[in-house]
Amino acid sequence: MSKATINEGAVGGRTANRIINILLVIGCLTVAFPLYMTVIIAFKKPSEMTNDVAGALGFPSSWSFSNFAEAMEVTDFWHSLGNSLLLTGATVIICVILHSLAGYLIGRKMARIKAFKAFYLYLISGMFVPFAVLMMPLVKQTAEIGIANRFGVIVLYVVFFMPMNVMLYSGYLSNIPTALDEASHVDGAGVWQTFWKIIFPNMKPMHATVAVLTAMSTWNDVMTPLVIMSGTDENTLPLAQLNFQTQFGTNYNLAFASYLLALLPILIFYVICQKQIINGVVNGAVK
Amino acid sequence: MKMKKKQAWVLFLIMAIAAGLLLMGCGDQDKEAEGKTVIEMVQYKPEAVNVFAEFEKEFNETHDDIYLKIDSPNDAMAILKTRFIREDNPDIIGIGGDINYSNFLDAEMLMDISDFDGLADIKENYLQMNKDLEYVPQDGVYAVPYMANAAGILYNRDMFKKHGWKVPTTWDELIALCKQIESKGILPMYFGFKDSWTTLAPWNAIAVDLCEPDLTYQVNSGETKFSEHYAEVAEKEKELLAFAQKNPVAQGYNGACTAFARGESAMYVIGNYAIPQIRSVSPDMNIGSFVFPASNDAEKNILNSGNDLMFCVMDTCENKEAAYEVLSYMLSDESVSKYLADQSAVPCKEGDFPIVPELTEMSKYIENGLVADYQDHHYPSEMAVDALIQTYLLDNSANATEKFMKKFDTEWVRYNKDILAKVKAYEEGEASHE
Amino acid sequence: MNKKHTWSKNEKVFLGLLIPILILFFCFNTLPLIKGFYYGLTNFRGYGNYDFVGLRNFIEVFQDSRVGKSYLFTFKYAIVMTIAVNVISLILALGLNSKIRGKNALRGIYFVPNILGGLVVGYIFSFIFTYILPAIGEAAGISFLSNSILGSTTWAWVAIVIVGAWQGIAMNTIIYISGLQTVPEDVYEAGMLDGSTGWRKFKDITLPLIMPFITINLVLCMKNAMMVFDQIMALTKGGPSQSTESISYLIYNNGMSGGQFGFQSANAFIFFIVIVAISIFQTTILGKKEEQL
Repeated sequence: MSKATINEGAVGGRTANRIINILLVIGCLTVAFPLYMTVIIAFKKPSEMTNDVAGALGFPSSWSFSNFAEAMEVTDFWHSLGNSLLLTGATVIICVILHSLAGYLIGRKMARIKAFKAFYLYLISGMFVPFAVLMMPLVKQTAEIGIANRFGVIVLYVVFFMPMNVMLYSGYLSNIPTALDEASHVDGAGVWQTFWKIIFPNMKPMHATVAVLTAMSTWNDVMTPLVIMSGTDENTLPLAQLNFQTQFGTNYNLAFASYLLALLPILIFYVICQKQIINGVVNGAVK
Repeated sequence: MKMKKKQAWVLFLIMAIAAGLLLMGCGDQDKEAEGKTVIEMVQYKPEAVNVFAEFEKEFNETHDDIYLKIDSPNDAMAILKTRFIREDNPDIIGIGGDINYSNFLDAEMLMDISDFDGLADIKENYLQMNKDLEYVPQDGVYAVPYMANAAGILYNRDMFKKHGWKVPTTWDELIALCKQIESKGILPMYFGFKDSWTTLAPWNAIAVDLCEPDLTYQVNSGETKFSEHYAEVAEKEKELLAFAQKNPVAQGYNGACTAFARGESAMYVIGNYAIPQIRSVSPDMNIGSFVFPASNDAEKNILNSGNDLMFCVMDTCENKEAAYEVLSYMLSDESVSKYLADQSAVPCKEGDFPIVPELTEMSKYIENGLVADYQDHHYPSEMAVDALIQTYLLDNSANATEKFMKKFDTEWVRYNKDILAKVKAYEEGEASHE
Repeated sequence: MNKKHTWSKNEKVFLGLLIPILILFFCFNTLPLIKGFYYGLTNFRGYGNYDFVGLRNFIEVFQDSRVGKSYLFTFKYAIVMTIAVNVISLILALGLNSKIRGKNALRGIYFVPNILGGLVVGYIFSFIFTYILPAIGEAAGISFLSNSILGSTTWAWVAIVIVGAWQGIAMNTIIYISGLQTVPEDVYEAGMLDGSTGWRKFKDITLPLIMPFITINLVLCMKNAMMVFDQIMALTKGGPSQSTESISYLIYNNGMSGGQFGFQSANAFIFFIVIVAISIFQTTILGKKEEQL
């Protein structure tokens, strides 16, 4: 901080920075408080919950995991977690491969061939279509062709994220010189080989972005599995919270233990890959 | 280094999928059902989830050829309709005798079960209630009434006894009682109007005393308007707000049940279906109940009781015999008694079932058939009458009732357009036949 | 190049690989949109048989007070949300971009709400609004707080804004920070020589430079807010008195479980047109503004 007089931010002064620092730390409480409350309530017994603030927010008299055991049992936790992992994992892999391919195919040709430009605009226009608009016909349609199940949900995700991802990939393509394609072509490689051997590895930074964006949207999505899979005994983690509300009844401790369990996987993932996640989100938005 | 990172990502995703597949592998039920006829039932009462789980277990232990699978999901009507949209119908549905039944029947989704033996044991007035729900008269029987409910006012017997309060039989007595309770510093009533459907509990209980049971039919055939009958119902429900907690929409159904269970109020205007929920909070509470006295003529006050749970076989069910076997099991005296003990309901089956202790004050009405179905069983769900009532109750302007009644009449016409046309077409058809 | 393009072999392969993807997209995006329009012409309940009713549903969408209310709510929510989120996150981003201790840790913490699912967050806040805030209000003698705001027809929507903002701010802050980092330091140094400080400096130097990021954030935030569903499902289920029904929620609730499959299909189709109109409007207006600056 040798050049204290010249500031990075818009507001100046060393004391000013101190104040900002303190305010920001205090501001963190708004983030921390709901999470703190969740943890505290999840560990308590129903009898410790009184009607005043202290009853809800004080430390539990003993830290017991019995609420969690019960919540796992009630919400069929492992099964729901399995579904969430499966849906997210499969969606991300398919999206990365299929959408980067589509982005490559379109991005390379759309400057010169009008038809490809039209395809591009057609795909991108899909961004304007909210899921709520397509929901009812999709429920009918997936049922008619017999994919009102996890597979169908994956298909819907792959299609739903396509406009955004194709835009990201074809935009990124300008960073990869066409000379690479040509060299590969001269070596006798076909379009697919060129894509898979040359282009796909070169799109790596964009893969990370797409994977993060797709994974986060898929993991937290409620509406799609709700309408496509409800009543089939298959839940994702968020959907399980919705479907088991009645079983929780007035037992908030059980409910919060279940909420905490539902939040934990993504929190752990965030702690490990914080940098990639933040970069991914920023890249996705700014590009 | 860069390569490593990518590999780590791929590895992570593959692990996620593998873990997903592994975790889903556990807890499969399919083995049990192997080689058996599978009957799938969805029932809509989540509060009865435990007793239905027992039924499922017992049925499967005693039957080698049929595997019964019962689902009791949260928000079952939404799930059921979503499944219908997907044409993924269960075999048997356990639903209430309300507008949904009318719609399913009208959409020709239910099987005619008039050849089912068990129907002979069902009380006539509950079968008749289902006939009244048909938009246009149908041949055949499409539902087995199983349990009826009884809605009125639940009260804290011990608290009443301690203060020497008496069960009221007329509207004026009820108001006097509320004032008396208030004077002791006790809250007379508690409402859970955050869940808008609970506004219908007082509404129905008041309406059966003050309105004709076939009011909707009269309206649909153009003889009268709701505003001529419902204004008093609306005003009386609003009058009750003065005797309840400050903000009646602060709490939902669960919250109100809990408050009543903890003795925060002396009475609670709700049906018997709330008793298990209240018991879950305070198991030993001495709960009583009485018929809502909305009229000042005690003779006119009758019990609000309707088909709370009935079973329909779906038209798409392929194993009618097996479905009947399930129904017979459900209707056996043992099963009925088991349900009664768990849910404090009123059986639709004839027989010597003791009236549950919480409902003894209502026994006179149940035994003599002094009952009338819920008015809201005829309201289309998309009209959301519960929310209209909720809006009205929160509306403090001077002409609130007038506005509400006007809205009720216009919305009714709008949401029942297709039904009105159907009724008209049917009546014209009948007339031309004669 | 002449108008008629002759396809080389290589281009044909490109086309051949692309077409299956386009077909997949058509089947699960465009086709359901067309089907939705078709259902909008019927009185379908979602099951059973149905009749064609012509454009009746499309006309009634404009007369239906419940649909009207849901549009009002959704717009009110989206606008308040967009303004509140962007103002707060810009301030937060300025703070997080200044010379402070533990910058990375703080940024990491402020981003947490964004990764959590809206539904579960909604349930957690529902408890805060129903129990914690009234208890605080009671203890502090603030009568406004002592009732749950979720139970108030006038204030319940604010609760949904709070939850939405709690999550949305995290996202927008990160984008603003990356925007602020594109502002080169020497621009400030030049500004310092001119004697501009504080607010003036922000207005004259920083703001124009991060304008593209403001555009992104406004569009993103608006788009997310228009789709609000999870929070409503968890907090109010559209109540009290239908005061918090968003368009998405109404389509789900009445279309899937309320027997208005046909009518809500018409509503959904009109919603789609509204979204397209807003998107075009936003890009043209904001695009122009950016050019001006």
